[in-house]
Amino acid sequence: MAKWGMVFDLRRCIGCNACAVACKQENSLPDGVFFTKTLSEEVGEYPDVRRTYVPTICNHCEDAPCESACPTGATSTRPDGIVMVDRDKCIGCGTCIVACPYDQRTRLEPEMLNEGLFGGGRLTPFEEQGIGRFTVGTVVKCTFCHERVDAGQLPACVATCPTEARIFGDLDDPHSRPRQLIRERHGRQPLPEKNTNPRVFYID
Amino acid sequence: MIASKPIPDGSFRVGVGRQKAWGVQMATAFFFGEAGAGLYFVAQFFDFMSGMVVGLLLVLFGKAGGHALHLGQPLRGWRALTKVRTSWVSRGLAAILLFVVTGALHILDTGLHVLPAVLSPLVAALALAACFVIMVYQGFAMSHSTAITLWSGGLMPVASLTYALLNGVLLTLVLGFDEPFLAQGPETVRLLQVAAVALMLYGLVTVSSLLHGARHASEAGRESVAMLLHGGFARWFVPLVIGAGFVVSALTMLVAPPAFAWMLAVAGLELTGYYAFRVLMFKAGGYDPALSFAYRFRH
Repeated sequence: MAKWGMVFDLRRCIGCNACAVACKQENSLPDGVFFTKTLSEEVGEYPDVRRTYVPTICNHCEDAPCESACPTGATSTRPDGIVMVDRDKCIGCGTCIVACPYDQRTRLEPEMLNEGLFGGGRLTPFEEQGIGRFTVGTVVKCTFCHERVDAGQLPACVATCPTEARIFGDLDDPHSRPRQLIRERHGRQPLPEKNTNPRVFYID
Repeated sequence: MIASKPIPDGSFRVGVGRQKAWGVQMATAFFFGEAGAGLYFVAQFFDFMSGMVVGLLLVLFGKAGGHALHLGQPLRGWRALTKVRTSWVSRGLAAILLFVVTGALHILDTGLHVLPAVLSPLVAALALAACFVIMVYQGFAMSHSTAITLWSGGLMPVASLTYALLNGVLLTLVLGFDEPFLAQGPETVRLLQVAAVALMLYGLVTVSSLLHGARHASEAGRESVAMLLHGGFARWFVPLVIGAGFVVSALTMLVAPPAFAWMLAVAGLELTGYYAFRVLMFKAGGYDPALSFAYRFRH
C-alpha cells in the first residue's frame, strides 16, 4: 500500500497561485475557502530584498493531532495515509481546527454556501453544481484530491503547477521522485517540533 | 461585478495566524462550566442545596447551551461521546452527562432521601468526581492543542481548576450568605474568604506563569502575549483579568467586612475578570508560521 505524500520545491514556486485556482475548481470550493494557499514573504533589506513563496496544504500528518482531538471520529486516516473528514459525522466543534498546527482546516459557515460569490444569495452556476458536496457547519480540508488519486491521477494542484514545484508520490517507495528529492536535497517537514510527522516536505 | 467578500489582509502572508475557530460562544460555555462545576463542588461539601442546584443548572443550560450555539451541527452533538479514548472534548461531554445525572440524584437524595443508604454515598462521590473532571478538562482540551502556543503550556488545566474553585468559593459566599451554615458560622465565612484570597493569589501566579511560558516558547506565543499585555487586547486584559479579577478583588476581600454587598462586589469583579480571561485567551491564540525558516535554511 502506497503512503502518499508531497514535496514542495521552494526554488521552483513562482507564486502564481495556479494551484489554488485548480484546487478551487476541482473541489468546487466556496468563496473564502482554500485547501491550498501560496503564502509570500519579503526578506532582506533594501537594496537586497527578495520575495519568497511558501505553498501550504494539509500535511496529512502521520500522527495527526486533528484525528486524536476529534471527538466524533469524523477525522480518520486512510490506509494510504490520506487524512479525511467524514461530513456525516462532523459536528463542527472546531476542535480539529485548533489542534492543527498548520491552520489548514475551515468550518463551512452558512454565509459561505448561501450568500454566493457576488452576494445577495444568488449562486453562480459553478457554485450551484458544487454546493451538494458540502454540509453547512462541518469542517473541510485538502484530501490530496483522493478521488483523482484513487483513479491513478495526480492531485489537481500538482497536475496544474506550471513549474513542477509540487511533486506527489509514494513516500514508502525509496525510488519514487518525492523520496529521491527528500533524500538528495534534505527535505524538511514544516514545524517538526510539533511532533506530527507531516507527509509534506519542503526542499530548497 | 466584483466578489462580495474581499480576502482578509494578511491571510496570504507568511506569519503568525490568529485562531478564529473558538470564540465568544465557546468562552461562554467554558465560563459557565467552570463557574457551575466550581459552585457545585464547594456547595456539596456544605450540603448547600441552593448552591448545588444553581451549579447544576449553570452547567446544564449555560455550558451545554453555549456549546450547542457554537456547534456547526448541534443535532449531531451526541456523536462527541464516541472518542473518549483520545479526545478531551469527548471526555468532557461524558463527564457532563454523568454529572447531570448523578448531581440531580444527589440533590434529590439530599432533599427527599430517595436513594437507598448504600447507594447514597456512591452517587455523591460520582457527582463530585464528574464535577471535578468538568473543572479541569477544559484546560486539558486547550493544552492538548500544541498548535497554539498560548494554550499548550501545562498550566492551562491548573488555571482552569483554580478559576473553578475560586468561582465556587465566591458564589457560595454570595448565594449562601443568609444560609445557616454561613449566617451562624462566622468562622466558615472567614475560612472561605481566606480561601478566596489564597486562590486569587495562586491564580495570579498561574496566569502570569502561563504568559511567561508562552512568551518564551515560540513566535506565536510571543505575539499572543504581546497582544495581551501591550497590544490591542491589553486595554481589556490588564484591567479586567489582572486588575479586577485578581488584584482589586483580593484587596477588597482582605479589607471587606462580612457583608452581602461586599461579597457580591468581589464575586462580580472576579467573575468579570474570569470571563475576560476566557474570551481573551481564545482571541489572542495564534498559530506559528508553518515555514518561517524557509528563508533561513536557504541561507
